[in-house]
Amino acid sequence: MLFTIITVLAVAGTFLALAFHRFWTGLDKDRTNLVYAALLGGFGNWLIRRSKESARKASVRAWWAYVKALPLWRLPVLEKWLFICFYGSFLYLGASGLFFAVFVPRGLYGLPLIGHVLAGGIFAVCLTLVVIFKSRDFTSIPEPLELSLRLFDPKRLGMTPARAKHAAFWLFVLAGFLLTLSSLLPMMPLLRTPGQKLMFELHRTSALASVVAAMVYVGMELFERSRALDHGRRTAQ
Amino acid sequence: MSRSGRLTLVILGSALAATLLLTGSPASPNAPAQDEAKTAWDGSRAVPVHLIPLHDENDEPIIPTETNPLPFSARFTCGPCHDYDTVGGGFHFSSMTGRAEGRPAQPWIWLEPRTGTVLPVSYRPWPRTYSPTDLGLTAWDFTLLFGRHFPGGGPAEPPEEEVLSDPDGRWNVSGRAEVNCLACHNKSGRQDHGEWAKQVLRENLRWAATAAGGIGEVGGMASRLWPTWDIYDGPNLDDHEWAVAPYVKYRTEDFDSKHRYFFDLDYQPSDGRCLACHSVSPAGEVRWEAQADVHSAAGLGCADCHRNGLDHDILRGYEGEAAVKNDRTVDAFTCRGCHLGEDAKGRPDVEPGRLGAPRPKHTGIPLVHFKRLSCTVCHSGSLPKGGFTRVRTSRANRLGIYGVATWATDMPAVYEPVYMKDANHKIAPHRLVWPAFWAKRDGSELKPLKPEEVEAAAAGILGPDERIGAVLIALTQVMEEEETPVLVSGGSVFGPHIDGGIEILEPFDETGGDPPFWGLRKGTEIVPLVPDFDPAAEDKDTDVETRFQEFLQALATVTEAPGAPAIQVRKTLYRLVSGYLDISEAPEEYGEATRPGWLADGKLVPLAADLDVRTVTALAGGERTLTEEQVGLVLAALAEGSDGTEFAYVSGGRVFRLAKSGALLSEKHEAAEPVTWALAHNVRPAQQSLGWNGCADCHSAGSDFFFSKLEGTGPLLTTDTAERSSTSFMRLGGSFQRLFGLTFIVRPLLKTVLIVCAVVVGSLVFLAGVLALGRLAGLLEKR
Repeated sequence: MLFTIITVLAVAGTFLALAFHRFWTGLDKDRTNLVYAALLGGFGNWLIRRSKESARKASVRAWWAYVKALPLWRLPVLEKWLFICFYGSFLYLGASGLFFAVFVPRGLYGLPLIGHVLAGGIFAVCLTLVVIFKSRDFTSIPEPLELSLRLFDPKRLGMTPARAKHAAFWLFVLAGFLLTLSSLLPMMPLLRTPGQKLMFELHRTSALASVVAAMVYVGMELFERSRALDHGRRTAQ
Repeated sequence: MSRSGRLTLVILGSALAATLLLTGSPASPNAPAQDEAKTAWDGSRAVPVHLIPLHDENDEPIIPTETNPLPFSARFTCGPCHDYDTVGGGFHFSSMTGRAEGRPAQPWIWLEPRTGTVLPVSYRPWPRTYSPTDLGLTAWDFTLLFGRHFPGGGPAEPPEEEVLSDPDGRWNVSGRAEVNCLACHNKSGRQDHGEWAKQVLRENLRWAATAAGGIGEVGGMASRLWPTWDIYDGPNLDDHEWAVAPYVKYRTEDFDSKHRYFFDLDYQPSDGRCLACHSVSPAGEVRWEAQADVHSAAGLGCADCHRNGLDHDILRGYEGEAAVKNDRTVDAFTCRGCHLGEDAKGRPDVEPGRLGAPRPKHTGIPLVHFKRLSCTVCHSGSLPKGGFTRVRTSRANRLGIYGVATWATDMPAVYEPVYMKDANHKIAPHRLVWPAFWAKRDGSELKPLKPEEVEAAAAGILGPDERIGAVLIALTQVMEEEETPVLVSGGSVFGPHIDGGIEILEPFDETGGDPPFWGLRKGTEIVPLVPDFDPAAEDKDTDVETRFQEFLQALATVTEAPGAPAIQVRKTLYRLVSGYLDISEAPEEYGEATRPGWLADGKLVPLAADLDVRTVTALAGGERTLTEEQVGLVLAALAEGSDGTEFAYVSGGRVFRLAKSGALLSEKHEAAEPVTWALAHNVRPAQQSLGWNGCADCHSAGSDFFFSKLEGTGPLLTTDTAERSSTSFMRLGGSFQRLFGLTFIVRPLLKTVLIVCAVVVGSLVFLAGVLALGRLAGLLEKR
């Protein structure tokens, strides 16, 4: 039950945080003079407006057009199939895992479980390849730390959207590693019951972390893409 | 104050004083103190010596040397220190209350092979069992049927209203079998369960405990006494051979000079006492191969876990019992409680390690197994290797009663391990029996008939072995040395059985015995009972006629024969007339044949009806007791004597009924489903647990755990039986389990892939982390 609550809060919180990031980035007013109440009110109105707009535009055809327009399809063949398998397996893993964890008291079982195990294998292989071939794109070299009170000032940490994406990537990789490990070890004749329990907890916690990391990464990526498209359109006009 | 007011005060005061005086009498405070003394434990772990005076059922002291002493009574011998009524409410004695009392246990199985009845019976309302009351079984009937494995009390000691409501019960002759404390607590090697069973079947109920406990020798049989006999009538002076009244001769050497008897008792019953009624062994297993329960092997006794207080509410030790008993301390006596310190819901709030219980490692066993399976799935009962194991249990198969007669029975067929979900929705191993009974339809329900109702309607159809046996036993009277009368049919040789009926002596030449014939066996040779010769020949053997006369005289002793015996040889008829052999020409309609038979309705009918011979031939060598032909005939006979009621016979998981055309049809029905009860013992050692050899012990495409098939068994010889798979008992999808089992073929590959991936990703994550840390610390220069 506790995990269900944490899951719902984490997913909803991440969603709202990403939405707030969009709202904040697109705010035209002088942001320094905004009071919290006005900010929250504005965010609420913006969220409702965006939801309505999205609902109005949403259709199978629109979704299909959106998916077809994703840069994924234009990647070189090996890369394309790597990411199709990677995204596909992760989507199934996340959906089946979270759905059963939240809505089915018995947990994951039956054919969805067999699918989960198979998708897990595919995901592990794809993650390994992604880390080998793509992680170099996510290395942001930080400045050496200086021992001062600035360490405790979040505004001076220099957390840019790009760095957030990098952090999300590495969090995702770490969670993926723990997911692989926590699937593998219970299958080996190594762990006793407390170890099995630890692996179970580690597996679902890592799964939640990977989902949050993926949401952040994809949210940022899609927002950047839509901003770039908007900017391109405005420049063309 | 007025005079009347003062008077009122005096009266009220006197009344108050009187009340206080009476309620506060010196006797009152002492009474509860005595009761407490009976129940409270003083803390000593020693077992008191039980050198105590015996009392009879009238609470009179027993003097063992007096003439015709009465048997001892537990109520009045043990009762002064151990409250008898409290003990009598215990689990073993309270079945007649009809309380469900937790997880269904093994019901009594009413086995009646002649009618093909295998009926699960219980006063407790457990699923798929029938209430004795609904079946018309009185406490008297129930005691005679199952009292062989009672510890006394319960139905064997019914309340007065039950006794009065059953005029056919012979309680006043037999007395009641009180709770037999010795059945469990007697440490003496003289305690004899077989003796108890014999005394119960002789209707010597009030004497049974004395005899079984070895306290005295009991003779006589209440079952042979007239129904108005009373214990105060004393010995039957008119009959010292047959209808001897029960009596007891006490072992005087075990009494002291004050007539106190030494009981060698134990607080905790020894395992032998429990196993007298609770043994389970694989059918056909030899004793030296039998495995002990791992707890017994470790030195624990049954009663170490299955404990009770004075109320004798025995702990059964299943998960969920704490909720039933509303006592959380009970959780400490389950497998989980002792070994893991968990309650039924897996909460770790029980003190583990009782009696040195080791904590299991369960290395490599995924958690889901502990959520979905009870401990007993992997650890208890027979391994599912090769399918289901047929076992015999004390109460179902009448084990542990020894004597000249063979008491144990192969039927009913009890199978284990049948994995099914229990009340906690966990899969647990069960034992199973397929019911078999005759029934009448009441709407969609099938209401069992008592065997005697079926017998009454089906005379001449059931029990062919007894009729053939009667002929063979009659002929035995005139056999010469080493001669045995036999019936040869269908490749089998049937001889007379010592207890009546027939037995198969040996297989016969498969081409022989068709048509069947009556014969004489001398050593290995079998010759026809009636040799074919020419009666008119001058050189015929004259001894033949002498033997014929002997045969006919012997056959004339067969009761319930359809007519007088006769022997036809070609066209000559031999029969007895006024005790002498009469030789005459056989009537024309008899034809020319050589055979023995009965003269009935102007015909010479065979010694055994064709149906009887066909039936015993078909059933020869097997444990079935009915053929489809018999079932059809009995159903027709039942229908004939009824007002349109439909009858059916249940066997092997199917219900058989007669179609309008007279054909025998079978169908599925809820009433034909098997009765099951959870098993817990024997607990196997860890190395023999499921999963010890890896996942494939259960998870493989052809796993015995999931895919064993169990065919319905019953007294009816038929191919039309139900078949159930293990997964259907578990209510799991068979196809899914097969698919899941197949995934274990590729699991080593999956593990290898995951190991490689984990090593590569882990190394890179570690490297990236080290690099970032080094940069943050300024140890690594910016590229």
